[in-house]
Amino acid sequence: MAATWIHPASRPTEIDTLVEGVDRYNPANVQYLEDYMYQQTRERGYDCLANLAILKLYQFNPDLYNSDVVIHILLKAITASPGPDFNLCLALLGDRGPYLPTEDPDPLPALLPHLTQLHTLLLTCRFPKFWALYRSPELAPLRENFTIECVGFEDSVREVVARAVRGTFSKIGRDRLGAYLDLKKLDLAEYAHEQGWQMDGHSVVIPPNADNVVKSSVQNEEIKLPQLAKILAHAQLP
Amino acid sequence: MQMQLNQQQQLASVPDAVKRFIVHFHQSIRDGNLPEISLAYESGWNRLTEKFYSKTEWPEAETISPLVGDDPIFLILYRELYYRHVYSRLSPNIDDRFHSYENSCELFNYLLNSDGPAPLDLPDQWLWDIIDEFIYQFQSFCSWKNKVGSKSEDEMAMLAEATQIWSCYSVLNVLYSLIQKSQILEYLKATQAGESTEAVAELVGEYGTRSLYRMLGYFSIIGLLRVHTLLGDYTLALKVMDNVELSQKAPLARVTACHVATYYYVGFCYLMLRRYPDAIRMFVTILNFINRMRQYHTRSYQYDQVNKTGDRMYALLAICSALSPSRLDDNIMNTVKEKYGDQYTKMTQGSEGLQAFEELFTFACPKFIAANPPPYENEVQLAAWLEEPPADPAQKHLALFLSDVHAQDAVPTLRSFLKLYTSLDAGKLANFLDVDEEELVQQMMVMKQSSRSVTRPATSAGSLLQGEVVSTSDLDFAIEENTVHIAESTVGRRYGGWFIRNIEHAQRVFDSMRSQPLPITKTAAVTPPVNGQVEKSDAPAAQSRQTSGRTGRAVWGGANARRVEIEA
Repeated sequence: MAATWIHPASRPTEIDTLVEGVDRYNPANVQYLEDYMYQQTRERGYDCLANLAILKLYQFNPDLYNSDVVIHILLKAITASPGPDFNLCLALLGDRGPYLPTEDPDPLPALLPHLTQLHTLLLTCRFPKFWALYRSPELAPLRENFTIECVGFEDSVREVVARAVRGTFSKIGRDRLGAYLDLKKLDLAEYAHEQGWQMDGHSVVIPPNADNVVKSSVQNEEIKLPQLAKILAHAQLP
Repeated sequence: MQMQLNQQQQLASVPDAVKRFIVHFHQSIRDGNLPEISLAYESGWNRLTEKFYSKTEWPEAETISPLVGDDPIFLILYRELYYRHVYSRLSPNIDDRFHSYENSCELFNYLLNSDGPAPLDLPDQWLWDIIDEFIYQFQSFCSWKNKVGSKSEDEMAMLAEATQIWSCYSVLNVLYSLIQKSQILEYLKATQAGESTEAVAELVGEYGTRSLYRMLGYFSIIGLLRVHTLLGDYTLALKVMDNVELSQKAPLARVTACHVATYYYVGFCYLMLRRYPDAIRMFVTILNFINRMRQYHTRSYQYDQVNKTGDRMYALLAICSALSPSRLDDNIMNTVKEKYGDQYTKMTQGSEGLQAFEELFTFACPKFIAANPPPYENEVQLAAWLEEPPADPAQKHLALFLSDVHAQDAVPTLRSFLKLYTSLDAGKLANFLDVDEEELVQQMMVMKQSSRSVTRPATSAGSLLQGEVVSTSDLDFAIEENTVHIAESTVGRRYGGWFIRNIEHAQRVFDSMRSQPLPITKTAAVTPPVNGQVEKSDAPAAQSRQTSGRTGRAVWGGANARRVEIEA
C-alpha cells in the first residue's frame, strides 16, 4: 500500500490519534470519524483506514450503525479499485443481524447487491457495462440519494479507468476510450489533454510509462558477497 | 464440614505420583526456578496426563489446595492448566467455559492490578501458551455460542445472564492492558533505535523491566494480530504489528509456536489484501524454518500443532502461487505439489479451479468469529435471529476471497496463449479464445492489473502495511491500437551456485589431503617419536622443505608452496 493510502496527507492530527491508538474503540468517538468521512465526500478526499475504523466501531456496537455512512464508505471504496478496499469494508460488515429494530427502513440491504456489482465491474475492467448499470433506471435511488452527495464520484471512476488504460495501452482507439470513460468528442479530447495523452486521428497515444512499454529481458544471476564467504575465508589460511 | 470431608476423601484418591508432582511444581514456582518449572510444565504435566488423566479431568484445584498451602497464585496457574486440559482432551461444558473465563480474569487481574509487579517468573513458553489459550478459548466460545439450536434451556438462561463473558471488548481489553502495563511498544521502539540498556529500563518502568511482563506484553501484540484476523480486520491486524520485527532473531522466535503462528496470520492477512508476493514470502520463510527444525523437535509436545499449521500454510502457498505465479524455492514447491498437487493444477487453470480454491481456503483459513453473538438476552430478537441468521463468518470471508479469485479467472488461459507470441493481433487472439475483441481487451486490462502488486521489500523496517507497486509476472505486454506486443523476461543460466559448490568441494578435498601426513616423508616420520612430543610438531615443516629442495616438487600447503617455487 502506498504511503498515502496508509496515511493520507489530508488526515487531521486528531483523526490520526484516533486511528492509531486505543481510542478507536471508544464509541463516543464515532462522531468525529463520521464527520471526517463526510468531509471526504465533500472534498474528494479518501482515507480508507479511518473509514475502516468507523466500520470497526459499528461491528462492535451495532446500535451505532448508520446506513448512510456505510453506503458512502462503500462508494468511496469502489473507486479505489483495483485495491482491496471494497472487500475490506465488506469483511467488517454483515455481523449485524436483521433482528435489530431500526427507526427508518435500512436502505443498505437493497443497495448492497448493486454496489457489489458496480465494484465487480470496475475490478474486472468492464467499464462500458459499469456505466450502463450506473446510469440505469434501477440505480436511480443510489444516484439520487447517495452518489450525488459524493462530490466527483464519476471523476474518480474515470481515474480508475485512466489507470487501467495507462498501464495497458500505448495507443488506443478513440471510440473505445470514449466508451470506457463515458465521454464524447470534446469532453473526451479535453480529458485526454488533461492526462497528457495526444489525439492522433482516430486514436489516442498514451506516452510511454513503466507499465505500457515492454522489453524482453534476461535476468542474470547475481552473486552476493555472503555466498562467497567460505571461499574467501579459505583463501586466508596460511 | 461435609465439604471438607469430601475434599479429604478426594485428595486421598489422588495418586501419589501426582501429589509429589504438584508439591514439587509448586516449590519450583515459589523458588522462581525456571529450569525446574519448564521441566515440570513441558514434560511432567504431560507425562502424568498420559498416565492418569487421558480421559478425565485433573483433580479440582480445591482438592489439591492443601498440598500447596492454599497458595492462591499457584491455584490460579493450576486451574489454567486444568482447563486447558479440559479443552484439548475432553469436551468443555458451559460451566467449564464460564469458569475458565473467570480464572483467566483472575490471573490477569492479579498481574495487572496488584500493588507493583507480581513476584512471579514463568518460562516464555508458558507465557505464550497463556495468551494463546486465552484467545483459543475465546474463539471456541464464540463458535459454540453461535450455534443456538444445540442449547438447552439452562444454557440459554445462563447465556442470557452473562453477556460480558468472553465478549470481544473484554478480550481486547486484556490484551491492550498487558501491552500498556508492560510498556512493550516503548521498549521495542527504544531497542530498535539502539538506546542503551539503562535508558530502556528507565523508559519502561518497574513492570517493563521484568521479563514476565515484557514477554506477556509482546505476546499480547501477536494475540491482537490473531484476534483482529479472526474478526476479519486485516489492516488493523497488520497495523498492531508495526513495531514487531519479523526475523529469526526477534523475541518471537524464542517460542516456536509463536514464531509459526505469527507468520501464519501475517501471511493470511497479506493474502486477503491481495498482496500475494508478500504472503508467499512469509509462508516460504517459515516453512523453510519448520523443515530445518523438524530434525530437532520431533519430541516436543507442540510438534503436531506446528505441523498442522505448516500443512495449512502449504495450502495457502498453493493458493497464492496459483494467483501470482513466480519462481519459488524448489524444495517448498515440491512439497506443495506432493500435498496439494491436484488442487494446484486445477487452480492454475482458471475458472474451473474455483472449487479447488474453495476447498483449500476452507481447510487453511483461520476459525473466523462473529463480533456479535446471537441475542440470547432478548427472546423476541432471538426468534428473529433464528428466522434469518446472519451469514456464517467463515462463509462470508470465503465468499469475499472467491470474488477476488473470480475476478482474475481469465488470466491463466490468456497467459498461456501470450507465451507463444511476441506480437499478435487482438482480433486473432479473441478468435482463439472464442470471445469478441472488446471482451478480450477488457480481460487484458485485468491481466495487467493482476500482474502488479503492492509489495513490501524484504529488508525494509517499519509497518507491515507499507509497500510499493511492483511487477510480479515474467510475462508483460502492451496494446498498441489492436496489436498486442508481448515480452518475456527469462532467467539466464545460473552457474554461480555450481561453481561455488564445486570450489568449496575442491577446498574441502584440498584440506583433507593437507591434513594427511605427506606420503614421501612417511619413512622419515618414523624417527621423530624418539625425540619426544615437543619437537614432533616442527618436524614435518622442516622435512618438507628438505624434500622439496631435493625433488623439486611442490609441497602440500599454500604459503609454503609459493615460497618453494620461488626458491626453485
